[in-house]
Amino acid sequence: MDRDAVREKSLARYKQERDWFVLLREGTKALPGEEGRLQEKLLTILLESKETVVDCVENEKPFIAGYFCNAPELFHAMDLPWYMLMETPFLAATAPYLASDIEGSENMGIGTDLCTAIRLPIYYIENGLMPVPSAVLGLLYPCDGAPMLHQVLEHNKAWQGVPLYGCDPPYTSDERAVEYFADELRRMADFLQKHTGKTLDMKKLVEVCEESNRSYTLWQEYNELRRSVPCPHGWEIGGAQAFAISQCFVAGDPRCTDWFRQLYKCGELKVREGKGASATEGWKEKIRLFWFDIMPYGWIFELMPWLEEEWGAVIVMDMFSNFPYTLIDTSSEKTIFHDLAKRNLLDAPMIRQARGTAENFAGDIRRIVTDYKIDCVIWPGHMGHKDGAATTGIMRETCRELSVPFLHIGLDLFDRSYTSPDEVRGKVSEYFRGMGLG
Amino acid sequence: MKAEIQSEALRKFVEVSGSIMNPELRAWKDQGRGVVGFFCSTVPEELFTAAGLLPFRMRGTGSTNTELSDAYFSSINCSFPRHTFNQALLGEYDFLDGLVCINSCDHVRRIYDNWIRALKTPFVQVMSLPRKVGDPQVDWYTDELNLLRGQLEEHFGVQLTDERVAEAIELQNQIRGLQKQLYLLRKADKPPITGAETLAVMVAGTAMPKQRYKDLLTELLDELEGKEGSRDYRARLMILGGELDDPAYLEIIEEQGGLVVTDSTCFGSRLMWTPVDEAEPDPIRALARYYVHDRPSCPRMYGHQPQRIAYTRELAREFRVDGIIGERLLFCDQWVVENYMTGLDLKEDEIPFMPLDREYVLSGEGQLRTRVQAFLETLEARGS
Repeated sequence: MDRDAVREKSLARYKQERDWFVLLREGTKALPGEEGRLQEKLLTILLESKETVVDCVENEKPFIAGYFCNAPELFHAMDLPWYMLMETPFLAATAPYLASDIEGSENMGIGTDLCTAIRLPIYYIENGLMPVPSAVLGLLYPCDGAPMLHQVLEHNKAWQGVPLYGCDPPYTSDERAVEYFADELRRMADFLQKHTGKTLDMKKLVEVCEESNRSYTLWQEYNELRRSVPCPHGWEIGGAQAFAISQCFVAGDPRCTDWFRQLYKCGELKVREGKGASATEGWKEKIRLFWFDIMPYGWIFELMPWLEEEWGAVIVMDMFSNFPYTLIDTSSEKTIFHDLAKRNLLDAPMIRQARGTAENFAGDIRRIVTDYKIDCVIWPGHMGHKDGAATTGIMRETCRELSVPFLHIGLDLFDRSYTSPDEVRGKVSEYFRGMGLG
Repeated sequence: MKAEIQSEALRKFVEVSGSIMNPELRAWKDQGRGVVGFFCSTVPEELFTAAGLLPFRMRGTGSTNTELSDAYFSSINCSFPRHTFNQALLGEYDFLDGLVCINSCDHVRRIYDNWIRALKTPFVQVMSLPRKVGDPQVDWYTDELNLLRGQLEEHFGVQLTDERVAEAIELQNQIRGLQKQLYLLRKADKPPITGAETLAVMVAGTAMPKQRYKDLLTELLDELEGKEGSRDYRARLMILGGELDDPAYLEIIEEQGGLVVTDSTCFGSRLMWTPVDEAEPDPIRALARYYVHDRPSCPRMYGHQPQRIAYTRELAREFRVDGIIGERLLFCDQWVVENYMTGLDLKEDEIPFMPLDREYVLSGEGQLRTRVQAFLETLEARGS
């Protein structure tokens, strides 16, 4: 497929995805309360970002493909529109075409034991379903699949010639590693300037970083509220949206800060009134869960509401919700890149845990179980998270030391046919009953 | 398919590769000398040699189950670390004085984490290997090697001078040269050694004292000189893949009539096809450049896919290969995608390619035979 054919086909798909979000946003208008408005605002920002990419493709303006852990503050400071190469599984996994896309990816002959979140973008690239950008920021961590995806991208004929830069990830987490990664980010910024014609204005970068600091500070304050019993919010609002709005669209935008401010207000009000996630739903918080992964986006509505309604099990914390995000010291160019390196290498969700040694898993469990009064840790065991799978024993042992039950399920976060929602619900119920929870 | 040569050296190599605690290793230990295990071919074993230690490439040879390691790993993990770690939990690696791990893949890198929690090996380190292959990455890995050098010096009480490292590089390069000579013999119409036997020779090189290995390999090459093997094969095959240390796997392929004449695997040609640059004044930097950039890479290293497929094509042409088998351990995300790209590339060249998933411990032999037979029939149909 040549570049022109890919352009048309991918644009059609991208618009289809945009329209799916338009539909979702319409749905949020019916949601009650301020939480409903938060969902609506998030989708408005998302849609604006999608419209911008459509405009770039249609009018041949520069835009890039990248990731949340590529220091998106830099893209914003450079006024550079972007989309995420793994956007569909991460952000649009409820889209009606996902199941047929998964089937298509299976039919390509790539092993079905390859992470679905990697297999899907490979399918999109090989079938001309992803807009070809001016430049790509690759992701070479935290797993084996990510660098392979980008090697396919470079191998694909329609993408050949698109400049690509990926920051090299050190396996360690000490100061030497941070300095090395900061240099990689500097080279990334040079790469972006060279290949997009945009310039990095340091004054603008300072503004963006300071704004993002405000967002992250509010997020941290909001997370303090989630320590309350009952937890003010469940799975529906909180970490997943906070991650998306702070890192996936326009990092360091005042609208994001406003969104966090409003989220904090909602949470604070509920805590003050002693209301939990269940306030209007007719059930009570009985089990406080730490869901140690991203949510099962491909079939989220078949599990999460059930957990709450059937068991009073509230996801108090998950992998994407709470981290001690590094605030950027904006006093100099050196401190900015140093702290962006820390934030993107040591703090960003999933990168934080999976990139380095297993102590990163064990440490998060210890901290979150203690800080959030967790009753049960669930490691969903996504089929793509092989390093996590090899850490199962360590996680189990860590939980044993903390005297908190640990459940390893074994599923695909995007593909409901891997372990059916019925099977997952059955396994969870059996475990809760066995452990005397709920 | 067996070579017709009777060689004492070859018999020893087969013996060494067939177990973990082999006679050569036992003799070394009996002298009170140290052994450091290491995972992955990107760990510079030259440093251990320079420290007077025997580098031992970790394997799960002899493992029959993963009963103990299943408490640490899960069912979606590769069977190589599961079997190897199980062997360690059974005490098969109690002879190690040290272990150096690396972030080679998502499965193997977790061996470090589980090892330090479950076992008492006195010296265990993990190294950070870059993903990219450029100059900043060579700088990074040079620092990593210097850190490891300091750790080895401190723990084992040795002086790892540049001279000693350079000597170790020279020795290892000589071994690489001899191994390459062995491979080049297989270009012949009637190669004097089979693929399975060659693999045994290569594996032995990672499990016994280096000087002794070099001497034995020289002896073997002398014995093979001018000899011819069987021409009774149906096709000349190349094996492409990662961790493959079991000659029995290749024996099954060769029993069907597919003579394995070359490979690009972690225990195969990638170990020795190019030497470390001895002209580089800093031997540590020479090692870093070699392991990050210069040697034929595996898909673990980002950005070298064009070089990898060029290397595959070059070997296929030089060794007059009829078809290529892409072996891959189940759950390996690196090789499954690499094989996908290789399949597309080789299709353009009209070189038949068969991806083949397997478990680390030989199993499903009947299925393997059937697949190989079908592949050979395809190759024969092309040739007729």
